[in-house]
Amino acid sequence: MTLVFDNLRKQYGNNVAIDAVSTRFEPGLIHGIIGPNGAGKSTLINMTAGSYTVSAGSISLDDRKLSGLKKYQIANAGIARTYQNIRLFDQMTVLENLEVCFYPQEVGQTWKEVIWPPFAKKREARRQDACMELLSFFNLQGYAHAYAGSLPYGRQRMLEIARALVTNPKVLLLDEPAAGLNHHETAELTAKLSELKSQNRVMIIVEHDMDLVMALCDRIVVMHHGKLLFQGTPGEVQASSDVQLAYLGTANDIDDIKAAAQDRRAQLGIRTRQRS
Amino acid sequence: MSSTDTTMQSIPRTGRLVPIVVFIVAIALIALTPFLGNYYIRVVNGLLIYILLGIGLNIVIGYAGLLDLGFVAFYAVGAYTYGLLASAQLGIHLPFLLIVLIAALLGMLVGILLGVPVLKLRGDYLAIVTLGFGEIIRILVNNVDWLTGGPKGIARLDKASIFGIEIARPVDFYWLLLVTVFIVATIVWRMEKSILGKAWAAIREDQDAARGIGINTTNAKLAAFATSATIGSIAGVIFAASQRFVSPESFSLQESVLIVLMIVIGGIGNILGIIAGAAILILLPEVLREFAEWRILFLGLLMIALIILRPAGIVPRSFGPERLIRGLFGK
Ligand SMILES: Nc1ncnc2c1ncn2[C@@H]1O[C@H](COP(=O)(O)OP(=O)(O)O)[C@@H](O)[C@H]1O
Ligand SMILES: [Mg+2]
Repeated sequence: MTLVFDNLRKQYGNNVAIDAVSTRFEPGLIHGIIGPNGAGKSTLINMTAGSYTVSAGSISLDDRKLSGLKKYQIANAGIARTYQNIRLFDQMTVLENLEVCFYPQEVGQTWKEVIWPPFAKKREARRQDACMELLSFFNLQGYAHAYAGSLPYGRQRMLEIARALVTNPKVLLLDEPAAGLNHHETAELTAKLSELKSQNRVMIIVEHDMDLVMALCDRIVVMHHGKLLFQGTPGEVQASSDVQLAYLGTANDIDDIKAAAQDRRAQLGIRTRQRS
Repeated sequence: MSSTDTTMQSIPRTGRLVPIVVFIVAIALIALTPFLGNYYIRVVNGLLIYILLGIGLNIVIGYAGLLDLGFVAFYAVGAYTYGLLASAQLGIHLPFLLIVLIAALLGMLVGILLGVPVLKLRGDYLAIVTLGFGEIIRILVNNVDWLTGGPKGIARLDKASIFGIEIARPVDFYWLLLVTVFIVATIVWRMEKSILGKAWAAIREDQDAARGIGINTTNAKLAAFATSATIGSIAGVIFAASQRFVSPESFSLQESVLIVLMIVIGGIGNILGIIAGAAILILLPEVLREFAEWRILFLGLLMIALIILRPAGIVPRSFGPERLIRGLFGK
């Protein structure tokens, strides 16, 4: 289960947003995509999820070519995403936001659900149990019957991640999950994401918060003006002079970031141990 | 769809008084109607037909969030199915229930045929194209004289009967319509609660995000369109059978607009709201008969007042059938 970009290109009119990007994302690892604003990070996510078409090249999951499929087909192939600007179903309850994700699996028996109430009840109960478990994981169980649009911003971010996870996707794409979160919420998010790391899942995170990226990611792809500038471990990325010039700033900043990341790792370590 | 709903922390579950009062009043009205004069029973029958139409159109507008202004076309399909299959026009005289079945299937088919090309359109474009479709059907019916009788319509339709029981007096149609409304409302409400209904809501909220969680939005929207068309067509059959006459006049754009207004005024996306909206828009003109020339003005003022005072409609989405049932049974 490996997500592969092969010579990927995206053009908006004359503006080349992604140019000849080839790389692989392995399961069991958390991959970060970083780069300055406009580097093409969201475009990569949008193409992978099928929100945008691919101008040239291809995206595939193992042997299955995803580029060219419709967005809902890509979702059903096991690709789930969140959006840089939160997109929940605002006038549906938190629970319903998750329940509706079972549509592809369950729609075939809608008639039975309509005609035979006991069947509907049983199915709804099973669906809701699965959703409540996930809501509890994200500490959202208290909001289950509130409208998604009425939640505080930070909770909405969490809910969007929960929605992406309901159907246990093979690939999880997170576009700036920490944007707009306060310090406390970012720490909570980091802990949750590290728990979500799984051998059966490719995780890709686009993020500006370098502390979070350095603490969480196993591999990092650095984008710059639509091109893949560098890829490697957090340490390699921090050591790369190209990256420093293009993105990270001066050497002093790097030391600060490294220190902060070390700090964060230590915190996470304590958290995980307390949990088990 | 309104901003008032968003501010609510959660859907209220308590409060039994309103549901119980609503229930008792409804039962009383249902039981008393047969004792009214024929004129009034006909008015109530008209109301029930509009409730049926409202429930049908609400699937597309209220649940899936698609503005369909050509709904009356499906109503016409049903009415003319009865007109052609139960009259001397073609010399065919099929039984009423068989025609209901044929019209339901035909309505569904026309709904799908129309839906396939137009459902790719969004918002205003969809509204304009469906509006055009409604007009095309009316003009078509008006002009294929050899089949539909043109503007004169088809008269002397057969009396309807179900299992040998003749359905002819207004009170017969009253019971037929009541049972139909009850069955249709129950099925539609259960569809709303089903996984398909949740997908409709997701499409209404954010079509693109709905695709992102794996919903084939084209199919889900087609299902909404087809179900709505089926209901419109069935309403058309009962309408034609009760009038024993069909003509293109009954299927003007105004009818589509009236049904949309019922939904918006009553409470979009809520079956109870549709009933309230239909009651106001169908019964008030009867009450205000003497001021008939002021009707449109009155309607306009009512709309303005409601948009200001109750933007989510008279009965908002949050007070749906589920709330009523919970209240009644104290669950
Ligand atoms: N829908 C779009 N239409 C036209 N240009 C776009 C669109 N989305 C992104 N772009 C352009 O593509 C480039 C990359 O944008 P984006 O992928 O959003 O960058 P990032 O997420 O790294 O900030 C930018 O120049 C941006 O203006
Ligand atoms: Mg971006």
